[in-house]
Amino acid sequence: MRRGLGWTALVAALLVYPFADRVLGFQTVHAVSDGMIYVLLALGLNIVVGYAGLLDLGYAAFFAIGAYAMGLLNSPLVGSPFYGHAWSFWLCIWIAAAVSALLGVAIGAPTLRVRGDYLAIITLGFGEIIPVAIRNLGDITIELGSWRPVERLNLTGGENGVNPIGRPHFPGVPFETDPVPWYFLILVIGAASLWAMNRLRDSRLGRAWMAIREDETAADCTGVNPVSTKLLAFALGASFSGFAGSVYAAKLQAITPGAFEFQVSIMLLCMVVLGGAGSLKGVILGGMLITLFDRVALAQTTFFVRWVGRTIGAPALVAADLTLWRWFFFGLGLALVMLLRPEGLAGRRMRPIPIGDDADAPASAPAPRVEAIPGWLRDRMRGGGNFGTEPILEIHGLTKRFGGIVALNEVDLIVPRGAIVGLIGPNGAGKTTLFNVVTGLIRPEGGRITFEGARLGGLRPNAIVARGIARTFQSIRLFPQMTVLENVLVGEHCRLAASVAGAVLRPRAVVSEEARARERGRELLAFVGLGGKEDDVARNLPYGDQRRLEIARALATEPRLILLDEPTAGMNPRETATLTALIGTLRRELALSVLLIEHDMEVVMGVSDRITVLDYGTRIAEGTPAEIQRHPRVIEAYLGTGYELERHA
Amino acid sequence: MLWWEVLVQQTINGLTRGAVFALIALGYTMVYGIIELINFAHGDVFMLGLFISLSWFALLGVTKTLVGWQLVTILPLVFALTMLTTAALNVAIDRMAYRPLRRSTRLAPLITAIGVSFMLENVALLWKGPAPIAYPDVFPSVDILREWFGVDSAIFITTKDLLVVGATIPLMVGLNYFVTRTRWGKAMRATAQDRETAQAMGIDVERTILLTFFVGGALAGAAGLIQGMYYNIGMWWMGYQAGLRAFTAAVLGGIGNMPGAALGGLFIGFLSAWSDQYISARWTNALVFAILILVLVFRPQGLMGERSADKV
Repeated sequence: MRRGLGWTALVAALLVYPFADRVLGFQTVHAVSDGMIYVLLALGLNIVVGYAGLLDLGYAAFFAIGAYAMGLLNSPLVGSPFYGHAWSFWLCIWIAAAVSALLGVAIGAPTLRVRGDYLAIITLGFGEIIPVAIRNLGDITIELGSWRPVERLNLTGGENGVNPIGRPHFPGVPFETDPVPWYFLILVIGAASLWAMNRLRDSRLGRAWMAIREDETAADCTGVNPVSTKLLAFALGASFSGFAGSVYAAKLQAITPGAFEFQVSIMLLCMVVLGGAGSLKGVILGGMLITLFDRVALAQTTFFVRWVGRTIGAPALVAADLTLWRWFFFGLGLALVMLLRPEGLAGRRMRPIPIGDDADAPASAPAPRVEAIPGWLRDRMRGGGNFGTEPILEIHGLTKRFGGIVALNEVDLIVPRGAIVGLIGPNGAGKTTLFNVVTGLIRPEGGRITFEGARLGGLRPNAIVARGIARTFQSIRLFPQMTVLENVLVGEHCRLAASVAGAVLRPRAVVSEEARARERGRELLAFVGLGGKEDDVARNLPYGDQRRLEIARALATEPRLILLDEPTAGMNPRETATLTALIGTLRRELALSVLLIEHDMEVVMGVSDRITVLDYGTRIAEGTPAEIQRHPRVIEAYLGTGYELERHA
Repeated sequence: MLWWEVLVQQTINGLTRGAVFALIALGYTMVYGIIELINFAHGDVFMLGLFISLSWFALLGVTKTLVGWQLVTILPLVFALTMLTTAALNVAIDRMAYRPLRRSTRLAPLITAIGVSFMLENVALLWKGPAPIAYPDVFPSVDILREWFGVDSAIFITTKDLLVVGATIPLMVGLNYFVTRTRWGKAMRATAQDRETAQAMGIDVERTILLTFFVGGALAGAAGLIQGMYYNIGMWWMGYQAGLRAFTAAVLGGIGNMPGAALGGLFIGFLSAWSDQYISARWTNALVFAILILVLVFRPQGLMGERSADKV
């Protein structure tokens, strides 16, 4: 109720403002509209930086592309073979957005595989090249000896830019003389963008962006394709700046390359970081604060300081000009926000990780109940193959070297369908390397991996998840800033279908898919014993809960084989027992095949059907738990001669 | 000028430019090697080094070209003072801006570094004004070929070129000795390879990082002084561009690899001089950035580095 009232007041204020401004004679509509364009740019940058976590230091380049697309297509004057026929503003604005998005993809495609800080520098380099290119393309002469195929060709207007640029035409609306229609045009574009961004955030795609931001490797191993997800962030972020750039060009009537330099990228980054990367409200707030600071506060404070100077007779103050300090304050702002409040003004305040919180929580989660297994999961798992006889995963002659070290040496391993296979061996034996090879994180030098009869060679991790293999990590790798439910929903990512358009427009199919996904996520969380914690932030969970959440996230990908990497590491005996029971239940009830790395012999011997032992990358034994316990090489290499005695002590 | 004279002249230009880039690039590469931070403000420390050396000359009363004994007393003194000042500045930046973020994400200190860079540039702008500043001709300029050898040639080599080479080579040899032969250098290399293990072996990691910033800042200061004496001009915005070119050099040589940074600096120096001559000075920046992008995308370990696997 109160929220609705607030919204109504806000909309009314936005609608009344330009008329009130005119009545009062403030003449601020122009400046406010310009500020809104920068806020729109910051919102676009927020998709890249805030949602997907990719630091873009050359975002102004996309702004430039949008502006020049508008300028070159809609300018009646410039004398180049490419233009001269002014196109309609309403057409150009879409072309500008499309060109920017295309360029975003073109830049992104080859560069998105590099690490975060390198990507930042690449975008910076790109942001530098674009203004240089725009400047130089205003006067091209190609000289090869005495032959001049191109002489003084002007494509972009060079340093002078493009001027004038045609205004939009709309029957009965005076775009030529009045700033108010511009205000409303930008308001409409901004509101529509905001609406779309808000919907994107809470969609399958938005969750994928955040998962990539939190932990790219874990996201890849949960079924999110990092390359296409990041590309979408680049393309969408760029298209919003294409809109902003084209409106900016048409409103200003003139563009020069100087308006798109590095400083503009950094100012936009300031807005995003100050307000809180990832928060729409925060970015709007940051954008307004910085625009206000830049346009109003510095100048007004200068007046004030000079007045003080005159009053107390200090000539240093009289001569002060704070606007010269502009970039100093931007730099200071960036540094201070990072040092003091890295989540920004409106970002979600990170609670410190609770210490000793385990005492208040129930000592251990309830044992998994068979009847709590979600029905949909049963349905997905049922059928497909002969339980226990045919192999679901076959590994033959797998070899992996790191430099001179042979991490895996001709390893063979078979997981029968519906079986639990233990993988044990001393530290450094190659167990986790085997997991990383099977899940596609690293490429083997030789050998064959077959899952359900099909070769897995060369597939990316997310494609392997889609085939039906899920994993957990030795050191827990959740998406720490996302909620418990969101973590599980990322797991469902590869089983959902919503596209970008679907995420924004939300047709009925997408709405029901999303509702079903959430319902499934809740059921799954209830089953693993995390019911009621759906909205907790993952990093605040106690250790044992984090382990269970990681398993729930893996189960959400609807796997037929799950790889568990030391799932009971660091757990107390009761938690270990619960988890062991959970693994048994999954196999018994869902016919889920499990490949398990575990150092707790109690667990491994108790739950496994068969065990493979690795030592220095070589398989030294394979057999039932009873056989393994008596195997002389295993006792020598791993269990130790006293193992039998210790166990019965 | 004959074509080969142009080529020789531009190659000499490239060598002197490259020597300055190499000194700056070493600071980037050392800091990246040890804390994996692209120290965006480093180019601006170089720029401030130029202005600071100017102040030291002024404080010492030097207004005219140094002669005779002054060259072996005042000049080394100014080198030392400038290097100490920029080293202290670099250490202060690390303490205030980067150290509190040692345990945060990789991007947080990078954003902070950009902030620091803007602050330093603005300080220089307010200190020296927006226009380029003339740097007095403190180092004697003698046309070597004509005056010393009596050769009449279109190629122009001066004692200033000798100064660049003569100052850069001892600095690099000294740095190499420091890093490979001393206890502190060993601590730096160990910390760069594995901070935790170095700590476990009793190395004071924070002090080693401080030392790295100190040495990097000193080299940037020397580069600023050399730049000033060679070109006789300084601009508040020169740090950004020189910094990016030097960073490109560091990336080209394999970031973290010190001989690589030095060679990368020379390469970028030659390339930019040749590009100015044979393509167009207007496109040189775009060319350098294109190289930066291509190397980062296709060979992020640099032209000399080895590919290392990321830990999973």
